[in-house]
Amino acid sequence: MKRWRGLLFPLVLIAIAQAAAMATHLQSYTLASPADAAVAGAHALADGSIAVATLQTLANAFGGLALGGGFGLVAGIVLGSSVIADRLMEFSVEALRPVPSVALIPIAMLTFGFGFRMEIAIVSFAAFWPVLILTRNAVAGIDAGLIDVARALRLRPFARTVKIVLPAALPRIFVAFRLAAGIALTVAVTVEVSTNPMGLGYGMILAEQSLHPDLMLAYLVWVGVLGWGLNFAITSAQRRLFRA
Amino acid sequence: MTRIGWRLASIVTGAVFIALWQLIANAHVISPVYLPSPARTWDALVVGFTSGTLPDQLWQTVQRMFVGWLLASLVGIVIGAAIGLSPKAREYVGPTLEFIRPLPASAVIPLAIVFFGLTDGMVLAVIAFGALWPTLLATVHGFAAVEPCLYDVSRALRMSRFAVIWKIALPSSLPDILAGMRLSLTISLILAVVGEMLASRIGLGRGILVAARLFHSPDLYAGVVLLGALGYVTAQGLFAVEARLLRWRHR
Amino acid sequence: MDSQPLIAFDRVSMTLGGTEVLTNIDLRIEAGDFVCVVGPSGCGKTTMLRLLGGLLEPTAGEVRYAGKRIVAPRADIAIMFQDYGRALLPWRTVAGNVSLALEALDVPKEERPGRIAGVLATVGLDGKADKYPSELSGGMQQRLQIARCLAQQPNVLLMDEPFGALDAMTRQTLQDEVLSIVAASGATVFFVTHDLEEAVYLGNRVIGLQPHPGRVAGDVAVNLARPRNQLTTREDPEFARLRRHLFDFIKDPGA
Repeated sequence: MKRWRGLLFPLVLIAIAQAAAMATHLQSYTLASPADAAVAGAHALADGSIAVATLQTLANAFGGLALGGGFGLVAGIVLGSSVIADRLMEFSVEALRPVPSVALIPIAMLTFGFGFRMEIAIVSFAAFWPVLILTRNAVAGIDAGLIDVARALRLRPFARTVKIVLPAALPRIFVAFRLAAGIALTVAVTVEVSTNPMGLGYGMILAEQSLHPDLMLAYLVWVGVLGWGLNFAITSAQRRLFRA
Repeated sequence: MTRIGWRLASIVTGAVFIALWQLIANAHVISPVYLPSPARTWDALVVGFTSGTLPDQLWQTVQRMFVGWLLASLVGIVIGAAIGLSPKAREYVGPTLEFIRPLPASAVIPLAIVFFGLTDGMVLAVIAFGALWPTLLATVHGFAAVEPCLYDVSRALRMSRFAVIWKIALPSSLPDILAGMRLSLTISLILAVVGEMLASRIGLGRGILVAARLFHSPDLYAGVVLLGALGYVTAQGLFAVEARLLRWRHR
Repeated sequence: MDSQPLIAFDRVSMTLGGTEVLTNIDLRIEAGDFVCVVGPSGCGKTTMLRLLGGLLEPTAGEVRYAGKRIVAPRADIAIMFQDYGRALLPWRTVAGNVSLALEALDVPKEERPGRIAGVLATVGLDGKADKYPSELSGGMQQRLQIARCLAQQPNVLLMDEPFGALDAMTRQTLQDEVLSIVAASGATVFFVTHDLEEAVYLGNRVIGLQPHPGRVAGDVAVNLARPRNQLTTREDPEFARLRRHLFDFIKDPGA
């Protein structure tokens, strides 16, 4: 019974919103009652529009995560393994990292036009940095004893990386990807809300522009559920894989 | 090599990359419409500053960013403290906060447009909303994680409730709060840029969007460089403040 | 002046989380006593200390100070916690940590620097006023806690295994320092420890507790000469006899 206490607060809020909407006979272009939002959401689910939008957003998010995360992983391993490379790249990383990913939207728009490529490019940039930094730290922070073992076994760099470095750094690399996944979803939705005419973000803007606040709210809640669900799934996987 | 030696070497490495960029641009591998050279980007920066356009846009963006951030931080700290200090509140409200944590702040932009229209107020509201959660969540965590023995000490010394919060809970939570504020600041910058793009408010965000639409790539890249610099300077500034306030950690 | 003891445990029982931790504790402590409480883990000695400190209220019976029931922490009873790392404020300097006690007592601002300096000198931390606890060794951090307690100018000092986490040499140094501080101030001390030798060395009275549930198994007077000395006192045959007696008593109180 205690576990469900957390649900009480949001349920009460929703109930109040519903009651207020019904009491004022809400009919507006700006607000919708929770019930109306649920109905609109059900319709969108039925006609497939939410499904399509979700798939588009997820494709962009995961595409960017794979691309940016992949590059970040490799670069992180390199910087983490080589002190010289790390020190030489310090300034460049420091200079490029603070660029907000959204600032690249116009550049991507100019280069690719609208569509998947543009959004994946921006998501990649955003996902690259956390994976780079955390992977670098994970690799650099590996117990020196393990590196000695690798040397004693006379493993060549590639074998050493695959057999010793990666497994040892894996838990922290996993965390890096978990964080990057959240960032990927957020940036994807942001690009869709601001410019790219596809996905859940665009769906919300469309609903807002066509004066369908109920549909917009439904999308908003769904995005929240998606974000939470993604984080929950990855965290559970992390716990199961690493008993952390 | 010494620290300074390595620092210089890394700057030189960065310069090498810029030189490479210049070479690629010169070779016209990519059309200059899409990829301006570093030289033209620099020119655009200089012109932008001397003509007053860039400082104006910069100031607008900075203003939005900081006002939204400070507002959100204040509210986040006060509410976060209240929730963090009360185990009951944490139990009932905690899960809702955890649900909101992964929500992309930009998802509320359509909602904000509905309420505020395409105005400065909308952008500020979105920035404040987005910047609120990292600070609030970090504050809740900080206040919930105060060393219990210190509460015993405060009881033994018969300290008032206010004194306990002001002299023990707050200083103890400060590292967490500042870390949250750092994240909030990053989000503020992002949402300021996005908000400006959407609502067509004067600022660096709108500036670069317009430049892209007009195919003025040097201006576009100049704006992006400036945004990067803004992100860097503000992050470093906050780091410096943090180092000062938390100097007891580094001794 | 009546013959009322300074501190009295009157048929005190304490149940915590469903378990009876202390049962029927009857104890009288006179002013100026240095009482050491020993016993195995779980015997309730820390609980007794917390009851005296006003951090807990007994489930049954009364704990009295100067005849009045203890219902809350008192300004004239100072508590020294076991884990000094967690009992000090890491963001305040040495002086700042001592100042906390003075602030809580509403000591006027002008008086504070003087009292802080005095108390730091007593514990031998006078050169370290501007350092942070993280820069101090374990022994110095514990001295800082003593200093904070002394700043309250207490009548009673409650010390919860204060030297348990320190190395043997530091422990001995601090034992002697505590003895001299207490001798100078005339405070009454309630000292919890699991170290029998430490208890006999420091106290003029040793209480032995038996666990499950906690009850007084022995109350032995220690008449060794003061001031105590790490070498000569510990070599005194009476010291060995007392230690043996207590050891046996705690193992088998019927003997």
